[in-house]
Amino acid sequence: MGQEQLEILQRALKREKAARKAAEKILEEKSRDLYSTSQKLEELLNQKSSQLQGVFENIVDAYVVMDLQGNFIKFNEAATKLFGYDISRDKVNVVNLIYNDDYQYAMSSFLELQTKGYFKNYEARVYTKSKEVKWVHINASVIFDKNRKPIAAQGIVRDISHQKASEEKLIESENRLASLVVNLDSGIVLEDENRNIVLTNNKFCELFGINASPEDLVGMDCKAASEQNKVLFKNPDAFIERMRAIDTDKKIVLGDELEMLNGKILERNYTPIVIGEKSKGYLWTFTDVTLKRTYRKSLEAQKQKYYNIIANMNLGMVELNNNDEILMVNQSFEKMSGYTEAEVIGKNARTLFAAEDADILKKEREKRKEGISNSYEFKAICKKGKTRHWLVSGAPNYNIDGEVIGSIGIHLDVTDTKSLELQKEKLLEKLEKSNDELQEYAHIVSHDLKSPLRSINALVSWLKEDNQGSLDATSLQNFALIESTLEKMEQLITDVLNYSSVGADNSVKVDVDLNSMVNELVSMLYIPDHIEIKSLNILPNIKGDRTKLQQVFQNLISNSVKFIDKECGSIIIDVEDFKSHYKFSIKDNGIGIEKKYHNKIFKIFHSLKKSKDSSGIGLSIVKKIINLHEGEIWLDSEPNVGTTFYFTLKK
Amino acid sequence: MTKNLKILLIEDDMIEIMKLNRTISTLKLDHKIIEANNGEDALGILEQKDNLPDIILLDLNMPKINGIEFLNILKKDDVLKYIPTIILTTSNNQKDLLECYKTGVAGYVLKPLKYEDYVSKIEKLLAYWSINELIVV
Repeated sequence: MGQEQLEILQRALKREKAARKAAEKILEEKSRDLYSTSQKLEELLNQKSSQLQGVFENIVDAYVVMDLQGNFIKFNEAATKLFGYDISRDKVNVVNLIYNDDYQYAMSSFLELQTKGYFKNYEARVYTKSKEVKWVHINASVIFDKNRKPIAAQGIVRDISHQKASEEKLIESENRLASLVVNLDSGIVLEDENRNIVLTNNKFCELFGINASPEDLVGMDCKAASEQNKVLFKNPDAFIERMRAIDTDKKIVLGDELEMLNGKILERNYTPIVIGEKSKGYLWTFTDVTLKRTYRKSLEAQKQKYYNIIANMNLGMVELNNNDEILMVNQSFEKMSGYTEAEVIGKNARTLFAAEDADILKKEREKRKEGISNSYEFKAICKKGKTRHWLVSGAPNYNIDGEVIGSIGIHLDVTDTKSLELQKEKLLEKLEKSNDELQEYAHIVSHDLKSPLRSINALVSWLKEDNQGSLDATSLQNFALIESTLEKMEQLITDVLNYSSVGADNSVKVDVDLNSMVNELVSMLYIPDHIEIKSLNILPNIKGDRTKLQQVFQNLISNSVKFIDKECGSIIIDVEDFKSHYKFSIKDNGIGIEKKYHNKIFKIFHSLKKSKDSSGIGLSIVKKIINLHEGEIWLDSEPNVGTTFYFTLKK
Repeated sequence: MTKNLKILLIEDDMIEIMKLNRTISTLKLDHKIIEANNGEDALGILEQKDNLPDIILLDLNMPKINGIEFLNILKKDDVLKYIPTIILTTSNNQKDLLECYKTGVAGYVLKPLKYEDYVSKIEKLLAYWSINELIVV
């Protein structure tokens, strides 16, 4: 080793020493720095730790720490609240918390934690201590010691039960909406900017006869489709043209009507859907309004029909409100009243038309208010001041709530009938009066006619008395003839009076027992011994005038008695019961009546056999009485054999 | 004990008057007949209150005041209303009959056709009233 070498070595050593010294000094400085730094760090760490501690303790979400076996070692206050466990007392393993159905998911997430050291956005259900199920969201990570060895796992657990629930509701309502759209009774097409179908539904397919499900139509070009569908419409070109116009305009269109070849009528609406400033597409809806249209049309037709009836019927119609103000009249009423509709609208009907009969209308108004319908008459004053009689059929008018809002009256001018009625009444009155007068007159006349007869009779008998013994047989016979003529004359007058009385005396109809009446009659009349009277049946009771009925039987029986010329006379009385009347018969074996006289004998003064006791009025009185009792009389007869009189009396 | 009656006959028919007179004389009755040809005459006679008849025979059918009118006047008079009034008439009108009984009559006799019948009716009528007690004014 040379000097040179040595010197080199010595210089090197010297440099080395210096360097070491410098290094030592740096090291010293550095260790001083390091010390203060670690001091600072420790401080910071403590600071951060307590800061963290505070965060964990006070964090809103639950914060949990568990060991590698899954046993929880730390719950913050929120976690305690969430899970219900107090881990200072309860020993809780994570497995206890996992919801059965979510077990698989939980395990795979746990594996992820082990391999990757964390997992995020774990969403699953957990059991709380009280076995309540809660939806939770968990972010978790593994905690390592300073040697990077895992010692525990920590997690932040958020309760998302509420959020979950509303999400479910949202999904549910979306589903509902979707099914609503699908099953909507209107056909719907939602198209995008390029006229491609975004959404459609069953009804649309049905309306346009598309044999595909709505889902299959999504993405289809509407323009092309409508070119195909146009043939379904009555006017295909107009359909396309209008659709294009709407599409160009891009403005809302409501209530377009489309007539289809199959008779359906569709209502088409077009609505651009804009959210904010942005167009989200265009919604076409098609609704089948065929029924509604035809319904409206028939309603319209009905309305027209009734309008025509009301306008043209020959009855005046007036609609009034509750204050009797006129709301509407028809043409016939205008004609009846002489007023035009414009002249009466809003006027009070009572003050306008009813002068003396205003009370009647007032009462009728009250009836309408109570919901009563009826008809009545009143004297109406027409425009020209003429009084007319109106027959009114009035009914209350209701609104759709069932409240009386007025009345509707149908008017018929009955003036002519009314005056006829009045005329009839007057005539009847007059007739009655003149009948009475006639009756009176008959009595007076008969009195006046009878008085001279009486006087003659008296004078004749005085002549006889005063000349007793000096009169010859012929004179006496003549006196006797005068007397019998007077008697006949008196009978005649009596009969005429009776005949005129038959119709005039309006005595009340009572129940008459014909059987006992006839029996009485037979015992009262003079019946010669050679004549036998028989009743074959019991005679019924009849409603009638007793005296007059007696006159009938008396006349007929006496007639029979009078005209019996046989040695053994027989009179047979019988009755037959018919539905509405009785038929009586009185049969004799008398002289009989020739056919040609059968009708004549019922006429007044037609006695066939002029005799002392036959005035020829009897049968005409009988016929008159029977007619009064709504019956008929006729006869069967054979000359020299006998006669049967038949007559009916109403039950 | 029958008594002789003072009879007021109100009758416009001459022969009727003769009939009554003859009847009374034929029957040999001693009644006194006062004749009045109509209602007015009769009222005049009835004014002599000291010489009033016992009964009145009244015909209904008379000129001027008729029988019913006369009867009404009679019944309104405080004194005359007590005199029995018998209607002697041809009218068998029910209305007249009713009216007369309503107003108040002592009888209603129909004049028969035959004179003999008349005599017989009058005889009975007078016999009846002769045995009745009458109010003496």
